[in-house]
Amino acid sequence: MKKKIVISDMVFDIVKWIFLLFFFLATIYPILNTLAVSFNEGLDAIRGGIYILPREFTLDNYRSVLSKGSLMTGAYNTVLRTVIGTVTQLFLTALLAFVLSRKEFMFRTPITLLFIFTMYFNAGLIPNYLWLTRLGFANTFWVYVIPGMISAFNLLVIRTYIRGLPESLVESAQIDGAGYFTIFMKVILPLCKPVLATVALFIAVGQWNSWFDTMLYNGFSERYTTLQYELMKLLSSVTSQGANANDMKNAGGSMVTPTSIRAATTIITALPIVCLYPFLQRYFISGLTIGGVKE
Amino acid sequence: MKKIVKWSLTALSCAALLAGCGGGNGNGSESDQGQAKTDADGTRVYSAFMGVAGKELPEDNRINVALADLVGARAEVTWLTGQTAKERIGVMIAGGEYPDMMDASDAYSQMVDAGGFVPLEDYIDDYPNIKALYTDLEWEKIKAANDGHIYAIPQFSSVKGENMETNYGQQAFWIQKRVLQWANYPQITTVDEYFDLINAYAAEHPETDGQPTIGFEILTDDWRYFTLENPPAFLAGYPNDGAAIVNPDTLEAKVYDTIPEAKAYFQKLSEQYDKGTVDPEAFTAKYDQYIAKLSSGRVLGMVDQYWQFEQAVNSLKSQGKDEMTYVPFGLVLDPSVQPQYKEVPSLNTNGGLGITISNDDVEGTLEFLDGILSEEAMILRTWGEEGIDYEIDENGKFYRTEEQRANWINTDWVDTNAIDYGYLPAYKGMYSDGINSVLPHEQLSEFQKNLVDIDREVLAAYGHEKWSDFMAVQDPVTPWFPIYTERDSWTSSDPAGIAKQKMTEVKMKWLPKLVMDGPEKFEANWEAYMADYEKNVDYKVYEEKLTEEVKRRVEVEEEILEKLGQE
Amino acid sequence: MDATKDVTVKKKKTLATRMWQQKELILIALPFVVYILVFNYAPLMGWLMAFQRYRPGLGLWEQEWVGLENFKMLFSDASFIRVIRNTISMSLINLSLGFFFSIAFAVMLNELKNRHVKKIIQTVSYLPHFLSWIIVTGIVLDVLSTETGVINQLLMALNVIEQPINFLADPKYFWWIVGFSNVWKSTGWGSIIYLSSMSSINEELYEAAEMDGANRLRKIWHITLPGIKPTIFILLLINIGNIMNAGFEVQYLLGNGLVQEVSQTIDIYVLRYGISLGNYSLATAAGIFNSVISVVLITLANKFSKAAGEESLF
Repeated sequence: MKKKIVISDMVFDIVKWIFLLFFFLATIYPILNTLAVSFNEGLDAIRGGIYILPREFTLDNYRSVLSKGSLMTGAYNTVLRTVIGTVTQLFLTALLAFVLSRKEFMFRTPITLLFIFTMYFNAGLIPNYLWLTRLGFANTFWVYVIPGMISAFNLLVIRTYIRGLPESLVESAQIDGAGYFTIFMKVILPLCKPVLATVALFIAVGQWNSWFDTMLYNGFSERYTTLQYELMKLLSSVTSQGANANDMKNAGGSMVTPTSIRAATTIITALPIVCLYPFLQRYFISGLTIGGVKE
Repeated sequence: MKKIVKWSLTALSCAALLAGCGGGNGNGSESDQGQAKTDADGTRVYSAFMGVAGKELPEDNRINVALADLVGARAEVTWLTGQTAKERIGVMIAGGEYPDMMDASDAYSQMVDAGGFVPLEDYIDDYPNIKALYTDLEWEKIKAANDGHIYAIPQFSSVKGENMETNYGQQAFWIQKRVLQWANYPQITTVDEYFDLINAYAAEHPETDGQPTIGFEILTDDWRYFTLENPPAFLAGYPNDGAAIVNPDTLEAKVYDTIPEAKAYFQKLSEQYDKGTVDPEAFTAKYDQYIAKLSSGRVLGMVDQYWQFEQAVNSLKSQGKDEMTYVPFGLVLDPSVQPQYKEVPSLNTNGGLGITISNDDVEGTLEFLDGILSEEAMILRTWGEEGIDYEIDENGKFYRTEEQRANWINTDWVDTNAIDYGYLPAYKGMYSDGINSVLPHEQLSEFQKNLVDIDREVLAAYGHEKWSDFMAVQDPVTPWFPIYTERDSWTSSDPAGIAKQKMTEVKMKWLPKLVMDGPEKFEANWEAYMADYEKNVDYKVYEEKLTEEVKRRVEVEEEILEKLGQE
Repeated sequence: MDATKDVTVKKKKTLATRMWQQKELILIALPFVVYILVFNYAPLMGWLMAFQRYRPGLGLWEQEWVGLENFKMLFSDASFIRVIRNTISMSLINLSLGFFFSIAFAVMLNELKNRHVKKIIQTVSYLPHFLSWIIVTGIVLDVLSTETGVINQLLMALNVIEQPINFLADPKYFWWIVGFSNVWKSTGWGSIIYLSSMSSINEELYEAAEMDGANRLRKIWHITLPGIKPTIFILLLINIGNIMNAGFEVQYLLGNGLVQEVSQTIDIYVLRYGISLGNYSLATAAGIFNSVISVVLITLANKFSKAAGEESLF
């Protein structure tokens, strides 16, 4: 069949390109800007007016950040919690999502409700803190993985996806005598790659960026500190200039400033995610066909 | 293979779930807080938490080690991040676990209320260096403000010998050195003179380094906006009581937002705004932009406290633009009024470093604090180690060589080499030899070495030795000063606490409008502002509560003086 | 007589039988239920704080009880009513803008044939999600500045305006500035979920449509969008429940005295009147209020969605 040149398609293409280009430029600018500021001398950076290239190049900001001793421990813990957290949370959430997608399950609605409502209420900072401390999670590594294991949002996303899969797949497996768990492992999981990649990304980023739980539960223990928390402390300490009358030191002072340090810590934080991303991206950008099932 | 992976995943997850539930009985409840640790060499280690932002220093920091050797103990200090002090400490209180020592910042009254601090009044006499920080009168004042107890040792109120302050760090109207130079160093006393000078200079120099010159800048970002709203108190000749102005005869506290000086000041600002002297973005710009503008050198003047824009000054100096750094002036509206901008380091009775109830070695901790207050230790904390950080000349005066001074300006070097335990008890002023000041930058000879030509020119032209000479000190120092510390103890169950919040809201809404709408609309705006203020701010209750506190402080001081037989 | 007995017996049998039949599902679900009760519902005891005058030093049962006083205080404060209005307005704007741009972006990206370019644009697009609001608002402030800001310079160059506009000083712009800042920061990240959804649409559908002579727009309208409809609806429902959480950081960082009447959200109010005055009870009361509204909204929204025959949460 000859491919016709359709005017509307061409117009659409032009619009599409303008839109995407605009977005690209608008979103790449802040990154380049942050990158530039991170390589710029602090006292010069606070003057403003830096766009995409550093004005006074320096590696001081990075040196300042990376020379913090506890950063290594923090990085180790962060990687650990990201890996363990992502794998366990992903698996368990998907399992529950599958169970809740079964229309025949008699407790489907109440259990779903139970989880949905957790998105909208929060016991509050102090009650949660007291409760988790009472349960023994203070000063442990597990406080990063166990509480908050099932995010209702992720649950719903995966459930929606599973609902979109053809029922016939499940039915034929059931006819073959497979139990629900087996069906989950053998039939559903392999087909859920795009959504699993997406949710894995969400969980991983969440784990990677966490510092509040570190501060609350492991704030005084060096063993379980995380990367983000260390960076947070570093940023706070630099920001303490200009925050307090009592801290006024004299003459000259530091070459790094909150502005430049903030940029450097942002880049350090975002970099690993950006590196991880392409591995997950191919699952949802290329498109999969669902193996030949005629509906 | 896949099967194994998947089954182990399941197993892992279940184990994790179970471990979580069962982990309650484990060692999770054991905490590092409040347990006296010791290093391998027997040095005692105490944990300390400060309710402000600050820098964590490494254990092997040179002077840290030296101090630990001298005193036999050291402190691991952690700082506030990511939350406000009230939130962070509120959580600690709820959990009942604290580090060994704490400066609770604005959560002090919460801590006291919860009984988190160990009362120290019975211990103080055993520790001579701690006791020597303050006079008996001052200790009694602290006790009187805290139901007869001493819960915390203030760190910033102790001055021995002379007050050696060189730089001026507090509130003033600042003006660039180059403006003063151009006008041949005139005397500036009133707001009118100030703006006339700025406008004259700006007319001749509309651009600075290619960017438009800004005559007057105001910082209004969030909590920093006090520089917009508190000048009326100073202009009327009152000292930095902060929350209100207090009539020294009647002992009544009044809000300063409604006094005639306030109206006059904002009217003046509105005129200046109309002329284009005031930066149009002053009310929408944030702190970072404020610093950026100042760092570019194009802001001729502002009203602010030095520590807020210190970063910008450092930037200007690093760019070699010393003529664009600032000189302070204490302005008034009426030349017959005596300004009282400069504060004497005042006693803060509602704050300081306290020892918490989680500390199981109170006496050891006090010994540590006493130790770091000895003169030998203080010198380590402030000047450093002789021969490495400073030298002594034939008259016994401390000084630093070029190289040493360069080191001390370099933050990276300082972080690995020096520790001053800035938030643990300390004192300022002079050492007992009467020759050296406690802080290096307050040592006049050192201070002068750091000056550049224009600095010397300016100081000489006005006949001053150091920057703080420009400002008139508060006189007399009243017993209730500073009254703003009273405000920090208010909660929202106090109608006064709510009044304080409402006051901030109303002022933040109206003050920018008063200035930006210009002189024609000023009267109308002022009326509307006052009406809004009357209606929404229960300032009577606010003033009453402060007045009560003023009177209490005066009574207390009288009582104590009698008791101490100094009447 | 016998018939009724049979029926009741049958019913009892059915319940137990059903449970037995579904034992595997129940067994798997049980630990999850226990988990959520332990970790999310048990601490709700803390909501009692809202009915007390909470002081941190005392235990939960030693506190002073004040009944509904905290709630009364909230609702009698005109500021609180105002911040509710602000929060809801900003949420609605964010919701509509967010949805529109995320979906549009995902659709456009999906239409891109060159995989390489697609990947690059997609990767760059989500990066702002990782910038803290402090950095992003710094850029926003620069862009909107009267002196050097790009927007003003552009508008003046095009002769649309003569004097630069101080956008941040004018309340009427504020909600839109917040909305578009959110779009900038979150569109890329928000589109990921739609892209992932799109990737599972059967290729054959597109081919069939092509053969029927459909152009791009029609393909999008009839295949792509319906393909991601469940995802759109689920997200929509979830976000409706979140209307009371318009956020805190953006408004806090961009707000100032001139626009404070429209910029303060519930979270900022809670910070000012609750936390910084040490009043945890007030903060908890506001939290309960938020939760109740959210639950009501989401129940209603869900009912509508179901009635309209669309995807529903429950």
